[in-house]
Amino acid sequence: MAIRPYWKGYLKLSLVTCSVQMVPATSESDKVRFHTLNRPTGNRVVSHYVDSVTGKAVKEEDEVKGYPRGEDDYVMLEDDELENVALDSTRTIDVSMFTPRDSIDWIWLDTPYYLSPNEPVGQEAFSVIRDAMEARKMVGVSQLVISRRERAVMLEPRGKGIVLWTLRYGDEVRDEKSYFDGIDNEKPEPDTLSLVRKLIKKQTRDWDAKMVIDPVQDRLLDIIENRKKALKKPSKTKAKKPAVEPPDNVINIMDALRKSLAGEKRSRK
Amino acid sequence: MVSPRANWKGFIKFGEVSCPVALYTAASSADRISFNVLNRKTGNRVRREFVDGETGDIVERDDQVKGYEIDDGRYVVLEPEEVAAAIPDSDKTLTIEAFIPCSQIDNVYFDKPYYLAPEKMGAEAFALLREGMEKENVAAIARTVLFRRLRTVLIRPHHDGLIASTLNFDYEVRSPEEAFEELPDLKIEGEMLELAEHIIGTKTGKFDVSKFDDRYEAAVTELVKAKIEGRSLPKRKAPVASKPGDLLKALRESAGMGEGKVTNKRSAANANRGKKADTGEKADKTASKPKRTASKTRRAS
Repeated sequence: MAIRPYWKGYLKLSLVTCSVQMVPATSESDKVRFHTLNRPTGNRVVSHYVDSVTGKAVKEEDEVKGYPRGEDDYVMLEDDELENVALDSTRTIDVSMFTPRDSIDWIWLDTPYYLSPNEPVGQEAFSVIRDAMEARKMVGVSQLVISRRERAVMLEPRGKGIVLWTLRYGDEVRDEKSYFDGIDNEKPEPDTLSLVRKLIKKQTRDWDAKMVIDPVQDRLLDIIENRKKALKKPSKTKAKKPAVEPPDNVINIMDALRKSLAGEKRSRK
Repeated sequence: MVSPRANWKGFIKFGEVSCPVALYTAASSADRISFNVLNRKTGNRVRREFVDGETGDIVERDDQVKGYEIDDGRYVVLEPEEVAAAIPDSDKTLTIEAFIPCSQIDNVYFDKPYYLAPEKMGAEAFALLREGMEKENVAAIARTVLFRRLRTVLIRPHHDGLIASTLNFDYEVRSPEEAFEELPDLKIEGEMLELAEHIIGTKTGKFDVSKFDDRYEAAVTELVKAKIEGRSLPKRKAPVASKPGDLLKALRESAGMGEGKVTNKRSAANANRGKKADTGEKADKTASKPKRTASKTRRAS
């Protein structure tokens, strides 16, 4: 499975440096992809840039980045000039700190990438950094410029490779206090708690990727398949709407839990 | 206290118990785009236009419709109502389908986090669920229609509340096993591993993510200034990768020990690991003050 690397650069721990590459851990390629069409003609819709003053189409090679200097006043910056921004973090992931794996809360995780050595000569250095983190149960912390922003990143060993997470900025994560402070934190009654724990135990399963299948995508593909057939003999079918199941209005939690457990037993037979 | 606005209100259902809850966006991603696209020839800003690929005529929003390509240039048109009909009606309920041991959570699936808190009359059942999950060390998998999309959500206890993370679908996540498949099975042992572990020990610290600063914009401003003043832009040296034969030497030097005295020094240094940084240069590199001067960052590897 050869995926074009999204980024190439260097991984550095103190005086050890190796060349690495990175691909996003998520991919849109298997998603049902739609194109935008022009309904009257059935042709594809394309987007292009036009000059905001003259209204004339702008060729791709004439597009250039402008850095605002004042109102309607820009400095043009070419891509190779931007490459020279005076930050090592454009090319090098310098792992400057390590921290216990659970000390960075999940809420900070933004986007995952897979990091691996780029050349055979770097494999040993890469493996040294990976295995030492694994042995110490640590994650590495560094910074990296991605999409013209410098991001804090976290490196976590994973199998033979490393997962690199971009971390959210401080002002992007909302303070949980505003949401959780008002929660009435009453300790549940011991018998109720033991019932709910029983229920949880009964419903605990091993993680399975089937838990994240997408029935909607399958349905869309069915619709498309039917329409393909219908292109030959036109007929109209309406998709049926599934019945709505309103949540039960349960007043007594104890009774409900007992009912749940009884139901579990039955379904287990 | 002004209560924040909920992004979604509904129920969470475990077994036969349902509890009124609300979801609140826990993290937003604010894009900081500091560039505009210009027309190089005129220097004017550009704007986007949607046109018919064949005729070149502008296509109004109302005429834009979704098409699925079945073969080259032939499309099945799906009207918005048809797409909407494929999504189940919202029952406004996060129905817990299963609990999974926390150790089995694969964070690579994580999409967006939401704070999940009880609504009026829900506090008792909410506390019960949270407490039960905490005690059993599990997270819950639930599915519901959120913002007009059917989503799988992973719910886990977090202090007094719960955090619900939407999960990416199976086909949206590349398997790490496949991504790393072609890497050799290299297991590092012995002195190399010990040295690297020692280096990690000296660089162990507390990272305050919230204090991290994006230095990119400042660096670009610097670049722009140089350009305006007609100064030449500095060419940056490419980092040099360590040669495999020099790896052990590089590790020894990084660990702050020359050849020969490795064994003695290591144990001594291990005793106060986590306190001292190997060299002064790293000590001030904690996240609390990441804004170093440009000259310092430019040091060659």
